[in-house]
Amino acid sequence: MNKPVFSRALRLLPFGVLLVACASPVVAAKVTIDSSNWGLEAGKECVSCHKKSSAGLAKQWQESAHHDAGVNCLDCHQADSGDDDAVEHEGAVVATIVSPRDCGRCHTAELKQHAGSVHANAVALIADRMPAMAENLGGPALVAAGCAQCHGSTVKVKGDGTLDPETWPNTGIGRINPDGSKGSCSACHARHAFSKAQARDPSACARCHSGPDSPDKEVYEASKHGMLFKAHNAEMNLDSDEWVAGKDYTAAPTCVTCHMGAAPGLNPSHDVGMRGMWNLNSPVSEKQYLVVFEDGDTMELPDSEAAPRRGSEIEKPDGTLGIVKVVATPERRRKAMSKVCLECHGKDFVQGAMRQFDDLVELYNDKFGRPAQNIMLALYERGVLTPAPFDEPLEFTYWELWHDEGARARHGAAMASPNHTWWEGLYQVSRNFYSKFLPQVRQVAGEQAQALITAHLEEGVGHGWLKSPEKGSRILGYRRGEGQDD
Amino acid sequence: MIKLPEYITRNVVIALVLGGFSGVGLVLFLIEFDHLTSTEAFCTSCHSMELVAEPYRKSSHYLPDSGVRAHCGHCHVSEGVIAATLDHIVGAGDLFNQLFGADYDDPAVNALHLPEMAFRARAWFRETDSATCRRCHDQGAIMGERPDTWQIHQEDARGKTCIDCHQNLVHRKVPSEKTFKRDAWNRMIEEEFQLPQGSADAIMAR
Repeated sequence: MNKPVFSRALRLLPFGVLLVACASPVVAAKVTIDSSNWGLEAGKECVSCHKKSSAGLAKQWQESAHHDAGVNCLDCHQADSGDDDAVEHEGAVVATIVSPRDCGRCHTAELKQHAGSVHANAVALIADRMPAMAENLGGPALVAAGCAQCHGSTVKVKGDGTLDPETWPNTGIGRINPDGSKGSCSACHARHAFSKAQARDPSACARCHSGPDSPDKEVYEASKHGMLFKAHNAEMNLDSDEWVAGKDYTAAPTCVTCHMGAAPGLNPSHDVGMRGMWNLNSPVSEKQYLVVFEDGDTMELPDSEAAPRRGSEIEKPDGTLGIVKVVATPERRRKAMSKVCLECHGKDFVQGAMRQFDDLVELYNDKFGRPAQNIMLALYERGVLTPAPFDEPLEFTYWELWHDEGARARHGAAMASPNHTWWEGLYQVSRNFYSKFLPQVRQVAGEQAQALITAHLEEGVGHGWLKSPEKGSRILGYRRGEGQDD
Repeated sequence: MIKLPEYITRNVVIALVLGGFSGVGLVLFLIEFDHLTSTEAFCTSCHSMELVAEPYRKSSHYLPDSGVRAHCGHCHVSEGVIAATLDHIVGAGDLFNQLFGADYDDPAVNALHLPEMAFRARAWFRETDSATCRRCHDQGAIMGERPDTWQIHQEDARGKTCIDCHQNLVHRKVPSEKTFKRDAWNRMIEEEFQLPQGSADAIMAR
């Protein structure tokens, strides 16, 4: 009995060591290479013309830390003439796209952290799901101006050296660049000022993390954390070099604080997906392992599956094989996240808040997510629904139930916005489930419907009240025997 | 009466007069010839040139607001009868290629060969310090629409000639020779003309 637990603990040990080893010093990674690596002489010439031809851009750079450190246009935009996207521009060979690999020439730690992250894999992670939505419901123009602007495009360089406008401009976080690197630093660090303060501001995330399916901006703003951020914005010390929660600022946590920021005993990381334990954007949430590969890539695997062994070879999201270096348990990830909370909250408070969050996720799962998923699977298996997604109204209903309303409820609980947890979230899930989803299932499944629904509702929890139709409540103004409410 | 030297015989006088007239005639002929052979109508009398003229007809050199239209020769033939004639003699090589070289009338073949033509044309502009641009454009008078355009053409254009910065204004976009990738160009043309992959290389090898 003990052995597997022990060997599991042993397997996870290096991650613990990793966390502890990373724990000091708690400052943002500095550029460690020598300054002789930048300040290219030829790059100084760019400025004279660009101050006139694109004054806004040049001024942003002039006021930036890059300028102060002597980093000029060519340091970032330099290219080899053999590069796919190299162009000759007024005598210099440059590339328009500055890829993470380019930024990583100096920002080595950030490149490494980002390269394996869920952000960097934002294209691969939806590659097998996106076509149904993006192409069937949308079209190429939608992909270019919509999906790919957050997830990232696969940038195509045409034979004449120009960038295909179907794939560029693009600052999607998982952009596949002509040099093969993944991501776009300017997704969060807007060019050409690259201000720390701007990237630490929650608005940096809001461009993508907002709206029906990932309403993180809305949830955060409605939470006490967001409220405090707004009220005490001036005390956030956003442009401080070092930015450790509880030390350099205490006014409020931002997205960065919890998901990637430094706290005493916790190193900051550009791998933004390390600390989140649940997958909240799925029909049914599961706790997730974080698998770290030898090459730095990471991947999540559900807790219900056995954790892969260290040294084993498994398939990564992009289809290639990777050797497992470390596996972090969901609990370990939760612990890292909680470390941030503990800077301002007591242990019981933190555990209590996490418990409320977890309970809400379980409630969504058990009461709505899993029954709805099982009913849908049964309808597909019985041939009641065609395999093609979104060619039947029920499929939209189901999609909105878990992807929009369900995600909102779960994100609301994760980040403590009661309004999003209920009115924008679980209330809508509930309304959809009882007044739209189930009626549509009855409609399409005909005679099979009742058995199907009953079976799956009994599996689920919290539907017992349906069996007592005689039980009234004043909420809608009527209770048996009392007549109309006045 | 002035006494002419003895060696100026009647025959010499006739020869001089005839020679003089022929000389004038030749110069006049060359001027007219250069004019005629610099027109769009003449240049596009070869079908292959019609293909490069297509993007030209959509360009600002063909359709400027001012109506000052630049014709083929304005940009591609030098000023002055001697230089213009020399340019036309060199240009006659193109005629030879048109008749005996690749099938430039085929749009795909034409597009495949375009980069080398562009590189040659750019080199020529560079050698002549963009003299034909300067026929119409006076660097000191370029005000532009943006406040700093004049300044850029004074301060930042030092040591440069027009073509260094202003490329791909008229004809189909071709990258600079330094960053040009034949393989990528061939694949693009194949895709554009729906040719089987690899066929562009075969065309170029012919």
